[in-house]
Amino acid sequence: MLRNLLALRQIGQRTISTTSRTHFKNRVAEKQKLFQEEDGIPVYLKGGIVDVILYRATMILTVGGKAFGMFEGAAYAIYHLAVASFPKKQD
Amino acid sequence: MTHQTHAYHMVNPSPWPLTGALSAFLLTSGLIMWFHFYYTLLLATGLLASAMTMFQWWRDVVREGTYQGHHTPPVQKGLRYGMVLFIISEIFFFAGFFWAFYHSSLAPTPQTGGHWPPTGILPLNPMEVPLLNTAVLLASGVTITWAHHSLMEANRKESAQALLMTIALGAYFTYLQMSEYSETSFTISDGIYGSTFFMATGFHGLHVIIGTTFLATCYIRQQMYHFTSSHHFGFEAAAWYWHFVDVVWLFLYISIYWWGS
Repeated sequence: MLRNLLALRQIGQRTISTTSRTHFKNRVAEKQKLFQEEDGIPVYLKGGIVDVILYRATMILTVGGKAFGMFEGAAYAIYHLAVASFPKKQD
Repeated sequence: MTHQTHAYHMVNPSPWPLTGALSAFLLTSGLIMWFHFYYTLLLATGLLASAMTMFQWWRDVVREGTYQGHHTPPVQKGLRYGMVLFIISEIFFFAGFFWAFYHSSLAPTPQTGGHWPPTGILPLNPMEVPLLNTAVLLASGVTITWAHHSLMEANRKESAQALLMTIALGAYFTYLQMSEYSETSFTISDGIYGSTFFMATGFHGLHVIIGTTFLATCYIRQQMYHFTSSHHFGFEAAAWYWHFVDVVWLFLYISIYWWGS
């Protein structure tokens, strides 16, 4: 078990980055290769699974929200119309 | 042959115009539900959905330009025209609020006491925090110009520093303005003075926040090596917008804070 612990320590040391916190590596060339692949995927999904998740979440929020909003709006409007149709008698 | 023989950009079909329009519906009906029924769910959904739409739409523009190379010189020209036209539309937006201010302040009615500022209104001293705000924004105009020139000279360290300073000055302005808002003896419902003051300065403050966000995005992109010394239209668009915000403040300061006090 101690051997495994030592191995873990070696891996930890090797993966520590030597660049400072504020230095980004220039990954533009990699991104260019990824986004220029001729796979027919449209740009809004071409980044990978995160794109798909974000897209679905946005659609659910907007289309679902619209459906809910319209239903709610209609319900509210009809309710208030009903209330207004039967005015309370002033004493 | 499937490659185009022209320099223009045929964009992939995109869902963001649809989600943007739906978000606008949620925002507007959400505002109504909040104002009249104190119900905030629709508005919150609209705000989140519009933020997600904006993030993804502009992320795609960055992908199309920086990663796919679609922003050829004619395409960039179109983007420049677009930004200029948008800023012009914003100028007209602010013109409305300035019109309202001058309409009421140039010929004060008996309801205000026949003079401006109206009776009972204690305006902010233009030589105190408002003057500091003016200095802050003017300085930010200098730092962003420094950032641009450094960028054109491929000086990474200086352009990052100058951009960071511009963002800090923008944030400082917002902080100062927020503290001024809590110091006023008048509110938005204090007659025409309150209405014109807070509508004009309020929308200006919103634009400062938008501009600061745009600049922060540019900073991140600069750190990720997206800009070259000759092609950095995103940065230029942010700089134009920032100068516009600065100029609107100068008009606000001179009209409302100084002349109007």
